[in-house]
Amino acid sequence: MREAVLAVTSNPLQRIPGVAIMLLLLVAVFGAVAPGFMSEVNIANVLVQSTLLLMLSLPMTLIIMTEGLDLSMGAVLTLTSLMVAIVSVATGSMLLGFAAAVAVGLIFGVANGCLVAALGIPPFVATLGTLGMAQGLALIVSDGQSVVGIPHSVSEIYSAAPFGIPVPIVLAILAYLLFHGLLYRTRFGAYVFALGGNREALTYAGLSPTRLLISVYALGGAMAGIAGLLMTARMNAGHPTAGLGLEFDAIAAVAVGGTSFERGNGWLGGTALGVLAVGVLRNGLNLLALPSSIQVASIGALVIIALFLDGFRSRS
Amino acid sequence: MSMTLPIHESSPFNAPAPPLLELRGISKAFPGVKALDDVSFGVWPGEVHMLLGENGAGKSTLMKVLCGAYRADAGEFFHRGEKVAINSSSDAQRLGIAVIFQEFSLVPYLDIAQNVFLGREPMGRIPGTIDRRGLLREARRVLESIGFDIDPTIPVAKLGVAQQQMVEIAKAVSQNARILVMDEPTAALSDRETELLFELIRKLKADGVAIIYISHRMAEVFALGDRITVLRDGRRVGEVDPARATPDELVRMMVGRNVDMSYPRHFVEEPGQVLLEVKGLSAPTGISDIDLVVREGEVVGLCGLVGSGRTEVVRAIFGADPASAGRIIFDGREKSGGPDEAARLGLALIPESRKAEGLALARSVGDNLVVSALRKLFPSGLFQPRRVQGVSSDLIAKLRIATPSARQTVALLSGGNQQKVVIGKWLAAGAKLFIFDEPTRGIDVGAKAEIFALIDRLVADGAAALMISSEQAEICHVCDRAYVMREGRVAGELSRAELTEENIVRLGMHHA
Repeated sequence: MREAVLAVTSNPLQRIPGVAIMLLLLVAVFGAVAPGFMSEVNIANVLVQSTLLLMLSLPMTLIIMTEGLDLSMGAVLTLTSLMVAIVSVATGSMLLGFAAAVAVGLIFGVANGCLVAALGIPPFVATLGTLGMAQGLALIVSDGQSVVGIPHSVSEIYSAAPFGIPVPIVLAILAYLLFHGLLYRTRFGAYVFALGGNREALTYAGLSPTRLLISVYALGGAMAGIAGLLMTARMNAGHPTAGLGLEFDAIAAVAVGGTSFERGNGWLGGTALGVLAVGVLRNGLNLLALPSSIQVASIGALVIIALFLDGFRSRS
Repeated sequence: MSMTLPIHESSPFNAPAPPLLELRGISKAFPGVKALDDVSFGVWPGEVHMLLGENGAGKSTLMKVLCGAYRADAGEFFHRGEKVAINSSSDAQRLGIAVIFQEFSLVPYLDIAQNVFLGREPMGRIPGTIDRRGLLREARRVLESIGFDIDPTIPVAKLGVAQQQMVEIAKAVSQNARILVMDEPTAALSDRETELLFELIRKLKADGVAIIYISHRMAEVFALGDRITVLRDGRRVGEVDPARATPDELVRMMVGRNVDMSYPRHFVEEPGQVLLEVKGLSAPTGISDIDLVVREGEVVGLCGLVGSGRTEVVRAIFGADPASAGRIIFDGREKSGGPDEAARLGLALIPESRKAEGLALARSVGDNLVVSALRKLFPSGLFQPRRVQGVSSDLIAKLRIATPSARQTVALLSGGNQQKVVIGKWLAAGAKLFIFDEPTRGIDVGAKAEIFALIDRLVADGAAALMISSEQAEICHVCDRAYVMREGRVAGELSRAELTEENIVRLGMHHA
């Protein structure tokens, strides 16, 4: 699909997506001004830290392609991360913790899907509601405290590097390939395009837009569960606010990556580049010792600049 | 075999062969309207059956019944002589019926091949995956079979309207559709594209496909039709052989006689001064070179088919859409700005979707009546509820709005009374020219008479009205003059004496 889009674009300048230009610019600027940005350790650090965001941004791309939104993702991630922590501390089993996280994520994903698809509640409102519920539950199950004493088998997930490649990177690459295959090579993927592009077309083809839409949101919940494992492993603890605001980063990465909020026009490659752009931006500003409030503001600016670049060039 | 029967050219064994699809006595009612009333017709393989009728004649409803989107209240369907039911889109598909709507059912960011086979993708080795190579092969085969030479990996979003239509046809052909229903397929096509479409239709005919073709354009009815069925007010007026009919006969059939309709109107012999003059108005919305004049005391009609540019003209006059050329002179002054200026000068636009554009439904009658006049009533910027009460009570009395009080929520009023609130709102603001877009849509006969009486009083007081209506009978009864639009231009002007439904239809249609 993407190849096809690019093949018929006549102007060679337009073939380079705005997000790629943004990413190159960011790398060039921080390489010049931020001390240690280009070091091997730091680059590896950016990549590993971006894996978590990618896990959320991949399903967020699909959800946004359906002209939807999932604001609950950060809060659900907090909750699933706590599930990993609590269950693995109680049982000593990483797998049980992981299973509990995915199960809780799925429940929230299906709930989001049902609210949006079956009850017709606008995604913004529906997922704002579940955001509050997930965050509230996170505070209840953790009693507002961090969960510590995480078994080694969990934290190892983040630090181990068989064959020199960190596990999070391996997981991220697997997730990307899986989503790529799902979106571009399966019927389900085609129907995701149709959910945002022309829902009537699905109905005429005898398919149920409601069920498909629920599946898309469910996928988001499940991925928040998987990301919960990474989060707990990374922090070696369960925090009642671990995922706070991550939905903002995910939506920003998708938007920067060139996925449109209308008509089912999405691009997973763009999302991956968008995730890297957000990661590089945060990392670079960190190295420059700027506060995180500046980071949030910059990500906002990044979204606007990237959309402006895309819009400006497609018009010209 | 010496017997000679009158044989229809495209169905050589007409006498014994039943139609591919036959409808008998199909009726469909909606609250307040009988959209289809006892409609029967048949279509044979290899022929184009034209469905002709004015706006609201029931063509779209018939199409939705055919594709299973609506269920007929009464009537029977026969497929090759056998009784069948069409209750869902899958029923229609099973019978080989494919409908191509004016709004395409295509997914913009999927490629042509995926659109053609949406929901029927060839499966790859892993369940759920698409056999991409097989998909492209099949798509190429289908595209080639209809003579559409294009790379199936191009996303639909990159295609023009004509090409998208070809993709829709390819989709229908790939479903082995034997009965193709097309809704004004040439509406958005250029002449050259139209010719290509006609070529394709002739090819499909030769392959034995039966085509039901809905049209407004006289030229193509005769160029393409093997049979013509004329609909009017949801009823089948008759079936005509295009070889023996003339355009005038068809127009007469479409218009027919209209039952008693008498609206109170006091026509004046000598209208007042010119209030609005439009010269050479063009807009990117698709209208060009519009000239028209409205004088004080006049009700001027603006007619033409849906899509002929009527709404675009009034929107451009009002300033709701920017004009690209031309002059608008209102009350002796050149108007150049947007809706703000229009409202200040005394122009009122009363749009078709009153609920969406004209009224704040959740607010009271009083609030709605004064909303456009706030600046005039309260120049200081301070709001005085008592003043609102006074002004709105006066208007409620003057316009005879049936409401228990000015505090009543507008949403609870009837359609006719809501319409009066919209008119009152502009009256309060000091409007001199009232532009109505379909003022009587969705309101009952009694309310219509009241609205027209109100319009009559308004113009008797020196105001003027410009009125869009698809109800030609209303235009004929109420208007002093009328302009008829066709394809974004003024096709002609009709004086009071010339104002008949037949003349309106004749000017509005695309003649051969």
